[in-house]
Amino acid sequence: MLVERYQRRVVGVALAVVHNQDDAIELAQETFVRAYENLSKFESRSSFSTWLYRIAANLAIDFWRREGRHVVLHGEDADDEIRRLPTSQGDSFKEVSRIELSARLKQALEELTPEHRAVILLREVEGMSYDEISDVLQCPRGTVMSRLHYARTRLRNILKDVAAS
Amino acid sequence: MAECDEIGMMLGAFEDSELERNEMQEVAFHLARCESCTGILADYSTLGRNLRSAAAEPPLAGFSSAVVARVDRLPQPVLTRIARFLRRQADSVGSGLAWGGAAAAIAVVTVILMTPYAEQFADRGPHSATSIAKTEHEAATAVNQVAEATASEPTMADNNSHADISRLESENHSVAVWSEPRRDTTVIWLPDQP
Repeated sequence: MLVERYQRRVVGVALAVVHNQDDAIELAQETFVRAYENLSKFESRSSFSTWLYRIAANLAIDFWRREGRHVVLHGEDADDEIRRLPTSQGDSFKEVSRIELSARLKQALEELTPEHRAVILLREVEGMSYDEISDVLQCPRGTVMSRLHYARTRLRNILKDVAAS
Repeated sequence: MAECDEIGMMLGAFEDSELERNEMQEVAFHLARCESCTGILADYSTLGRNLRSAAAEPPLAGFSSAVVARVDRLPQPVLTRIARFLRRQADSVGSGLAWGGAAAAIAVVTVILMTPYAEQFADRGPHSATSIAKTEHEAATAVNQVAEATASEPTMADNNSHADISRLESENHSVAVWSEPRRDTTVIWLPDQP
């Protein structure tokens, strides 16, 4: 069945944005309903899976904005934020215990904007290429790269602080 | 270090193998002689592993059936509704044909069994002779009653207390008409309505 084939990754895309499992599952179900309703609008310019993930990402981002939980940074705002980051180098956070690290990671991810969280999770957890992320989130490849750089630098610094403490 | 800042922007993409070939070579060349950038790259790699291991597998039991239930609750497009209506009608027509066939079979058996007695019932019914006779009897009684009533009237005083029916005419067995020309009277009898 089509749903079973794509459900895990659709949930993964939604989860990458909203970072809440219940919300992600609800949004993923809504994604399939929307896809069913709009199947006639699907054009084969992109693959069906990309189209499906794009619906999921849009629903999740809309949901996040509607909930108003975080301020969303775009374009130059995000780049400015990158420049303000401290440039810690060299140290690693390998010594942090796994449980503490997991909890801290979750918290650190929540501190990211949904756009930045989405790119890092779609890349690292879902294993999407930059082009796929660009298609799903409907932003240029360069934006994917800059968001990823910001997200990685930010997470690394947060986790490095934990390791240092 | 200016070179580190520039290379630092590409480290993530290097880790993801998403750079052009010449950029990959440039970063690799820098990493060979820069410990801090090598450390950052190692941290990125560790971060990726930790993100993957921390990602909980979402509970998907019942997910697809929930989606199907939600789709079923959607208002259907007009064409789909018409198609469903026609399919239901086709189903009921099929069922009706089965019932009709059974009823026809029962009717045939009944006719075969009842044929020897059919003649006995042929003359019965609203137009039968018995019925007409009964109607005429009731009509005569009614005429007598009318005649008696007429006789009791002062203007119509007469020693003859019963009607002298000269002509009985009726085309309808449930309606009787009598004419009595000598008294210049016509009686129209209608049975009581149920």
